[in-house]
Amino acid sequence: MQAKLRDLLITNILAIVLGIVASGLMLLFLGKNPVSAYSVLITSVVRDSYTFADIFVKATPLMFTALAFAFTYKANLYNIGAQGQFYIGAVIAAASSLWLQNILPGGLVLMITLLLTMVGGGLWGAFIGFVKARYNSNEFLVSMMSTYVALAIMNYLLRTFLIETKAEYPQTDALAASVWLPRIIPGTRLHIGFVLAVLACVGVWVLLYKTPLGYRIRAVGYNAGAAEMSGINAKKLYILAFFISGALAGAAGFTEVNGVQHMLVQGFNPDLGAAGIGIAILANGNPIGIIFAAILFGALKVGGTIMGQMSGIPSSIIELMQGFVMVFVILSYFVRTWLENNREKRKLQKAVAK
Amino acid sequence: MINLLSRTIMMGTPLLFGALAEVIAERTGMMVTAIEGIFLMGAWAGFVGGYLSGSLIVGFLSAMLAGLLVAGLYGWICIYLKQHQVVTGVAINLLVAGLCSFLYRVIFGVPITPLTVSPLATIPIPLLSEIPLLGPILFNQTILTYIIYFLAPLSYFMLYKTSMGLTIRSAGENPEAVDVAGINVLTVRFLTVLLAGVMGGVAGAFYSIGFLGMFTTNIIGGRGWIAFAICFLGNWNPKGAVIGTLAFGFAEAIAIYMQSIGNSALFPNELFIALPYIMTIVLTISRKSFNVPAKLGVPYLKEN
Repeated sequence: MQAKLRDLLITNILAIVLGIVASGLMLLFLGKNPVSAYSVLITSVVRDSYTFADIFVKATPLMFTALAFAFTYKANLYNIGAQGQFYIGAVIAAASSLWLQNILPGGLVLMITLLLTMVGGGLWGAFIGFVKARYNSNEFLVSMMSTYVALAIMNYLLRTFLIETKAEYPQTDALAASVWLPRIIPGTRLHIGFVLAVLACVGVWVLLYKTPLGYRIRAVGYNAGAAEMSGINAKKLYILAFFISGALAGAAGFTEVNGVQHMLVQGFNPDLGAAGIGIAILANGNPIGIIFAAILFGALKVGGTIMGQMSGIPSSIIELMQGFVMVFVILSYFVRTWLENNREKRKLQKAVAK
Repeated sequence: MINLLSRTIMMGTPLLFGALAEVIAERTGMMVTAIEGIFLMGAWAGFVGGYLSGSLIVGFLSAMLAGLLVAGLYGWICIYLKQHQVVTGVAINLLVAGLCSFLYRVIFGVPITPLTVSPLATIPIPLLSEIPLLGPILFNQTILTYIIYFLAPLSYFMLYKTSMGLTIRSAGENPEAVDVAGINVLTVRFLTVLLAGVMGGVAGAFYSIGFLGMFTTNIIGGRGWIAFAICFLGNWNPKGAVIGTLAFGFAEAIAIYMQSIGNSALFPNELFIALPYIMTIVLTISRKSFNVPAKLGVPYLKEN
C-alpha cells in the first residue's frame, strides 16, 4: 500500500513535469525561450495576491466538473456531458438571480439559486441515467450529445429571453452586487464558492466511502451483475448517480455566474468538462485528490493566461499544457501497473527462493 | 428540394468516411474515441498542407498522415499499453484541440483576414449527371463523394465476404480464437485503428478544404462524435452506417438551409443546429436491439 502511494505520487508528478516540459518545447516553435517564459510565469503568478488567488478561483468549477465525472466513474458509468450540465446550471443561475435579485434578500437568493442550479443540472444529468436504465442507451453517447443540445439551449436563451437590456451582445445583464458570492479575501476574486467546492469534494468522499449508498454505487461499478444478485437495484442507482453527477456539474454554473462572471456570457468556459475529466483521471477518481489536481489545473490556467498576455504566446498554450499533462498521466497509469507487477514478481521469486 | 438532397449527400460524405472507419475499428473491439481529434487534426493538416503547397491533393495527403499519427498515438496507448479507451480519447481530443490552434498560430501568426483556399470543386459526371432528379443529387458532387460510393460497398464486402473481414470481426467477438489461429490480435486492432485515422483525416479535411476553404478551431464541432454515433446506430454495419449518414446529412443540410433563410420565432436556428444531436439521442433511445461487438472497449490480455 505504501509503495503504491509512493508510485502514485512519483509517477503523477513526473507526468505533470513532462507535460509542462513538452508544452515548453512547443514554445521553441515560436522562437521563445521556454525557460525564461516559465520563469516569468512563475514569478508573475506569485507576484501579487490577486493572481495567486485566481488559481483557486479557476480551480473551483474544475473541482465540480471533475467530481461529476469521478462520481459516475465509480459506478462504471461515463458522464462526459459535464460541460452541458454546467451550461444548464449557468443558465439557471443567471435566470434565477436576475429574476429574484429585486424581490428577495441576497443571501436567500443565493441559496435558492444554488438549489435550483443543482436540481436543474441534476435533472439534465438524470435524463441520461434514465435512458440508460430504461432503454439501455449508451450513456457515453447520450451524455456527449446532450452537451451540444445544452449549448444550443443556452445560445437560444441568450439571444431571446435572457439577452441584455441593450440587446447588443448575446449576454445577460450584470447581476446586482447583492447576489454576488461573497469574497473570502478582499482585493482578490476568490469567492466563497471555493469553500463550497472543497466541501463538495469532502462530501462526495464521505458519500462514496462512508455511506451505504456509496457502497452500493461502488458495488455496481465493480460488478453490476453481482450487485444485482445481492439485491441492489442497479437501474435506480444509474439514475441517482447521474442526478448527483449532474447536480455537481450544475453547481459549477452557479459558482461561475454568481462568483466570477456576475453575468452569463455566450460560450464561456468551453473546456471545463474536458479538463474536469483530466483532473478526475489525475486524481485517480479520488474526491480528495481532486482538490489538489484541480488546483494544479487552475494554476496551469492562470499561468497560461499570463503567458498569453506575454509577448506573442497564444493562450491555446493552456489547452496544450492540459492535453499533454492528461496524456502523460494516462501513460503513468501504465507505468504504475508495470511497477506493481514487477514488485509482485519479485515477491513471488523471493518466496520461491526460500 | 433537389438542392437540399444534394446537400445531404455532400454533408453526409465526411460523416460516412468517419462512420465506416469507426465501424471497421469497432468490429475489432476498438472504439476510436479519438475520432473528434482525428477529424480536427485532419481538418488542420488538410488546410495547412493545401494552403502552403497550393495543391488540395497535398492537403488531403497531409490530412491522412495527420490522422494516422493521432490514431497511432491513440492505438499505442489503448492497444499496447492497455489503457482506457474513453479516457484516452478525451485526453487526445483535448491535446489535439490545443495543438491545432497553437500550431496554426505558429505557422500563420494572427492573420487580419481569415486565410482561405478554394475548396474542392464539384465534378459533374458526364451523362450520369444528366439523369433527371437523381443526376444532380448523386452525380454532381466532389471527388470524395465518388470515392465513398466505392468505399461503402467495398467495406461491406471486406467485412463480410473476405477472410480479412472475418479476422477483423473475430478480433472483437472472440480474440482468443484469433490468437489461436496464429494471428496477432493487437496488430489487427492497431492496423484498423490506423486505417480509421487515415479515413478520419480525410473526413476532417473535407470540412476545411473540401467545403469551407478555411480552418477554424471549432470547425469540427462534434461531427467526429456524430460519426461515432452513426456507427452505434448503424449497428456496427456499413449498411446501417449508410442509412444513418443519410439521416444526419439531411439534418445538417436542413440546418444549413434554415440558417440561410433566417430566424423564425417558432423554429429558431438553434433548434436546427441541435437537431443532429437531438436525433442521436432519440435514435439511441429508440433502437431496441444492438449487435454490440462482444469485446468492444476491452483490452486484449494474453494469458501466459
